[in-house]
Amino acid sequence: MKPKQKNRFASLLDSEKWSSVTIPALSVILSLITASIMLLILGKNPATAFLSFLQGSGFVSKPGYGGGGGMLTDFFTYLNVLAPMLLASLGFVMAFKAGLFNIGIAGQMLAAGFLATAIIGYSGLSAWLAKPLVILVGAAAGGLLGAFVGFLKYKFNIHEVVSTIMLNYIISYLTGFFINDRFADSLTRSMKICSDSARLSWTDVQIAGMKCSIPLGIALALAAAFVVKFIFDKTVFGFELRAVGRNPICARYTGIKVGRRIVVSLMLSGMLAGLAGVTYYCGYYNTIVPKSLAGMGYDAIAVALLGNSSPIGAIFASILITIFQNGSNYMSSTLGVAKEIASLITGILLLFSACGGYFRYLAHRRLERAVDEEAQKAAAESDAPEISENGKEG
Amino acid sequence: MEDYIVEMRHITKRFPGIVANDDVTIQVKRGEVYALLGENGAGKSTLMSMLFGMYQADMGEILIEGKPVHFRSSNDATAHNIGMVHQHFKLVDNYTVAENIVLGVEPMKKALGVLPYVDMKTANREIAELSKTYGLEVNPTNKIEDIPVSVRQRVEILKMLYRKAEILIFDEPTAVLTPQEIEFLLKIIDGLRKSGKTIILITHKIEEIKKIADRCAILYRGRLVKVLDVPSTSSQDMANLMVGRQVDFNPHKSPANYRDTVLDVEHLTVRNANKFDVVKDVSFHIRGGEIFAIAGVSGNGQVELADAIAGMLKIHEGTVKLCGEEIGSLPIRQRTEAGISYIPEDRQGTGVFLDFNLGDNLALRQYYRAPFAKKGILQFNEFEKYANDLIQRYDIRCGQGRKTSLRSMSGGNQQKAIIAREIEEHAKLIIFVQPTRGLDIGAIENIHRQILAERDKGVAVLLVSLELDEIMELADTIGVIYNGELLKIADASTLTSHDVGKYMMGVKEA
Repeated sequence: MKPKQKNRFASLLDSEKWSSVTIPALSVILSLITASIMLLILGKNPATAFLSFLQGSGFVSKPGYGGGGGMLTDFFTYLNVLAPMLLASLGFVMAFKAGLFNIGIAGQMLAAGFLATAIIGYSGLSAWLAKPLVILVGAAAGGLLGAFVGFLKYKFNIHEVVSTIMLNYIISYLTGFFINDRFADSLTRSMKICSDSARLSWTDVQIAGMKCSIPLGIALALAAAFVVKFIFDKTVFGFELRAVGRNPICARYTGIKVGRRIVVSLMLSGMLAGLAGVTYYCGYYNTIVPKSLAGMGYDAIAVALLGNSSPIGAIFASILITIFQNGSNYMSSTLGVAKEIASLITGILLLFSACGGYFRYLAHRRLERAVDEEAQKAAAESDAPEISENGKEG
Repeated sequence: MEDYIVEMRHITKRFPGIVANDDVTIQVKRGEVYALLGENGAGKSTLMSMLFGMYQADMGEILIEGKPVHFRSSNDATAHNIGMVHQHFKLVDNYTVAENIVLGVEPMKKALGVLPYVDMKTANREIAELSKTYGLEVNPTNKIEDIPVSVRQRVEILKMLYRKAEILIFDEPTAVLTPQEIEFLLKIIDGLRKSGKTIILITHKIEEIKKIADRCAILYRGRLVKVLDVPSTSSQDMANLMVGRQVDFNPHKSPANYRDTVLDVEHLTVRNANKFDVVKDVSFHIRGGEIFAIAGVSGNGQVELADAIAGMLKIHEGTVKLCGEEIGSLPIRQRTEAGISYIPEDRQGTGVFLDFNLGDNLALRQYYRAPFAKKGILQFNEFEKYANDLIQRYDIRCGQGRKTSLRSMSGGNQQKAIIAREIEEHAKLIIFVQPTRGLDIGAIENIHRQILAERDKGVAVLLVSLELDEIMELADTIGVIYNGELLKIADASTLTSHDVGKYMMGVKEA
């Protein structure tokens, strides 16, 4: 690139308006390049690999499909994974904006899924009643857990990272115990399946001759993203949460009840995680394997950070990461590469997106230098004293 | 030809949108105390950062002992025997004094002839000797987190001396110190000069320059205005040159016109987190139109007293009444609404959100109520109107208007924003804690005028300050706090600064 183009590139990265888009885009491009290099080292064609990720997620048609399946089948499966992923990452964003690190999303998801299945999933209620109740139970379970974490922090100053990690274990073993003791399917040893009427996905729906599983959760997730955005951007409540997150001392000085805000923000975070839990365990899946936490609960943190911890960013980040996570099976079977490469790519993505601030700094410095060089050139040409009109507030 | 140890010739340094240094030339003689005087943002620190290798000049050259040098990092500067004490100390809190001093240049030994280890014994001994030589008392084995600010500064000075620095740069060294500590530091600097070191002192406090400096370069908005011989120049002249206009040292204070009692504090006791009484049985009252100033050496409970009245700290015993209403157990917001404004001591940590923009920060007291919020929804056009109004009326200088990030504003303008916000509350009581700390003369003058204007409007003012001059200048009534107790309350006209100073040291009868 010529210096001029470089400068234009730098100013794109450093602009107030665009950097929230250009920086993540740059991170994604760099990670794809890195992943390509790795695939090349493994002797695989990166283009085929990325294509197969897209094929596996139903964005691009596969060469052939099994009985009753089709591209739409894959795409709806993808949406089934996307919904909980987005909800979980929104849960993380909710707390993170208030300066809290909710690492207990996996546990909150599990608790919500378990309770919803146990209470509603076997109840035999009609779909019109069961589905909203599943959502309600999920949100309530996650919300209570989140509020409990907030309460521990507010009352006893227990750091939320510690308490949520501990709770993850407690929930995992406690639900495992109850599943094994009461709800286990004698054949699979997993939790007995949640009835179709309570499930948040409509399974085996025929669309254009293809068998699809339509997730209710995706609408919920997208709506949640905009609600979260609205809360933070426009409401007094969101303003206070951000204030607590940025500087709790000043928040207190301003008159905000910091402790209460912490509890409420963790409660909302838990509610979103609970919604993620029911869309995952009573939607995408309809069962729970005892004593196992969903990796999604942790991937959601990566998604949220990749999305610049903004709700809209989370939508794009979860779309991207879910392509890799969901498409990895197909990629693995067509290319013969271990499917863990998907997690590797997620990791690389996260690594580069964590460098976003640094990229911006580099761009900023490049622009600074350009200004200096120009001024120097101008000074050398005219040999006149510097103009210092704009140097007022040194 | 003079023996110049440091020469910086025609230095120009630009930052985006700003010329921090514009063709500045300074020449420092060996063994002198050379002061750099200027307002905040005049370019003093930038200039010295270049001498210390942290920035590179865009134009111009630097000569050390007559030889041109190019510093790529502060290591290069250290190699040329230049040392710097930064305004914000660069120390590792959980290391000892000695460990901090030797960090990077540790004396090494080899155990069993092979395993290298840091020889702390030698280090401790060397540092003890060094501190004795220069009268800088420190205990090499104390941890930094356990020692007060003034001792930390001594550690920073020893750090330079340990690295054999001959040219010592001090960046605003007195900003964090109490009057007594300042005296002591100036003595240390004098001792360093006598032992042949060259000292460059960055400051905006003219009295210090008067006391210690030989020569003084005045910077104004990035340009060198003048280099003065200090003994033969008056303080007033220096101040005028620094601010670029005539400075009025004595604001015209009209006679007090007291009204009804606004704040009534009775037997107030405040405890800190360790259940130790930091404010003990304090009683006083402030009337409308009165400036009640609390004088005292730092750390004697004055900040806790202000915090307790504003609601930031819990009251252990006693009552606080505002216009007759007991407010001692109200939450912070209700006290604000009852009519207390508070300009806190730590303006960046407590007074503002550095990551929020100016507009949001100006609305912090009102964002939750109409017209700034309707049914819980923020009304950003109101934020904008309000911010633009305040920016204009209070002359808050900001690059991008209300959207300027607070972090990018100068300390003086941050304080202007806080004061604007708090005054606009039209409170009955305004608490100012160290309102002018770290600010330059122009800003101080402006704030003093505002405090007096509020008093003349009939507001009760509680002023907590460590600057005795400020208290003598503004106060109608002075209360001296010592060890958490109000030792003396008297009409300001009956006290001299000498009396107040005595009470500040805990002497009961002057």
